[in-house]
Amino acid sequence: MTSLTRLFDFLYSRAENILALVLASLFVSFLIQIVFRYVLNLPLGWTVEYVSIAWLWGILFGYAFVVREDDVIRLDIVYGSVPVAIQRIMDVFAGLVCAGIFLWTLPNVWDYVTFMAIERTAYMQIRFDYVFMIYIPFALSVIIRSLISVWHGLSGNHPKYAVGAASEMHDYD
Amino acid sequence: MTDPFVLSLILIVALALSGLSIGLAMICGSSIYLILKGFDPSIASETLLQGLFNSYTLLAIPLFILAADIMNVGSLADRLLRFCQALVGRFRGGLGHVNVVSSLIFSGMSGSAVADAVGMGRIIIGMMTKDGKYTASYSAAITAATATIGPIIPPSIPMVLYALVSDQSIGYLFAAGMAPGLLMGLVLAVMNTIIARRRNFPVDNSVPLSEMPRVTWQAFPALMLPVILLGGIYGGVVTPTEAAAVAAFYALVISVVVYQSVTAGQFYSTLLNSARSTATVGILIAGALTFNYVITRENVPNSIADFMAQFELSKWGFLLAINLLFLALGCILEAGAILLIIAPIFIPTAQALGIDLVHFGVVVVVNSMLGLITPPYGLLLFIVANITKQPLARIVRDLVPFIIALFAALAFITFVPDFVLFLPRMLGYKG
Repeated sequence: MTSLTRLFDFLYSRAENILALVLASLFVSFLIQIVFRYVLNLPLGWTVEYVSIAWLWGILFGYAFVVREDDVIRLDIVYGSVPVAIQRIMDVFAGLVCAGIFLWTLPNVWDYVTFMAIERTAYMQIRFDYVFMIYIPFALSVIIRSLISVWHGLSGNHPKYAVGAASEMHDYD
Repeated sequence: MTDPFVLSLILIVALALSGLSIGLAMICGSSIYLILKGFDPSIASETLLQGLFNSYTLLAIPLFILAADIMNVGSLADRLLRFCQALVGRFRGGLGHVNVVSSLIFSGMSGSAVADAVGMGRIIIGMMTKDGKYTASYSAAITAATATIGPIIPPSIPMVLYALVSDQSIGYLFAAGMAPGLLMGLVLAVMNTIIARRRNFPVDNSVPLSEMPRVTWQAFPALMLPVILLGGIYGGVVTPTEAAAVAAFYALVISVVVYQSVTAGQFYSTLLNSARSTATVGILIAGALTFNYVITRENVPNSIADFMAQFELSKWGFLLAINLLFLALGCILEAGAILLIIAPIFIPTAQALGIDLVHFGVVVVVNSMLGLITPPYGLLLFIVANITKQPLARIVRDLVPFIIALFAALAFITFVPDFVLFLPRMLGYKG
């Protein structure tokens, strides 16, 4: 069990490395774009495309593998004020519905993503199925995490049921 | 509105109330709508993927988050606060004024109220409560109130979100926030003066005038940031999105090279932290994109416009009603959710009534910021309560006068559009 935990910790840290790298590369591409356009007077096309891909991947990859349950933007006004028994019911309900919908739509989504192989991006000529492929691991992660939440709700052994929901904070408002 | 739409709406509310991420709740609701309508459910993911991929202006968001995070790690905030203390610390209730002025300056660098409260707020609350000069609850209250200015004065992440749903120019929206932001600072300073007199707050040890040049010099590189940012945008040198990258780069250079206060390890955790915030808000945007597809398909905004037309509201009656509705929603909903989901529903009505959409945007953003300090659900309240370890009820009691002052400012901003629009017009806005 401990070696499994260690493996997860290791993978989680690598996922964090990748996510930080995505944002860093997005930032650097912007700087390159600005220097080429305004200093060297040579507008680039690929930077605009690269930052759009990095933004899309940063969000879906980050949400799938790095963002923790307590970072998520949620409405805890009702959830935070009901007894633990009801919280567990809510977790089971939300988890089942969410996992069910993502699972149900997965085949269609797969079709759409693979269908996009016929198009390529304008500058870098990357096939769109590669660009959009990140949606699949995102959807799988949502399904697995929802099912874990269902299991927590059913078994009742998760620390959050003991301490109650804590307030969270974000830095984009 | 059809039955599938009503059902999807009920499902979104039920899922969100059950504590599911609001972004995911909207993706689920949109998918159910498509399934019930017999459409291909992959339209939801298609809208999401294409929407995010083609929303170039939204890239300002991760960059503004990064810029603010870098500024909060470096010693930039300390130096700015010392400068503000030298400037306005000598009056009664001085640190309250320092709080207002530092928020005004910091809001010219960051686009986020929360970044302001977490960074500058934490330091100034420490300064105010040291020696027991100010009560912890008063320090918390004024810090939360001044942090609301952050996204009103440009740059502003909420304005970028509004620009996305309303198709207005980010540059003009930013310019339109300038005067209202200064007005909010003014009313808060006035309220602080009144309370300082009444509660007989101490006069703080002032920085001697001879120290002024040195303190200013040390803060100078930080003070130049708003100048570079706004000069870049309005001088037509860079787009607002690129300006966000320049701001982050500048903050990094002065923190690392000039102030030598950021290590490589700190920079990594700052990057990671910003990326995590980006992913979290990105999912909310993704959910809003999919749900906006449903709303448009169901023609909701126009139905609302027709419905509102029955009441024959005047422009002013509508604006008043919008203020009341958004303030009420702000008590329970996240600012981002209000701007991305609720605001677009009313935009056609506003347009039909001849309300300028840049003005409307400022009204809506100010409203959503007041939502951050109105109980029971107010993000800024939670943050300052967390910093000061004070019960919410006590902070709210000290916050009431500031909320009243900000309401007065909001009323002025709402009913005197020229006050909001004169600056964008000077910069060429035809509205």
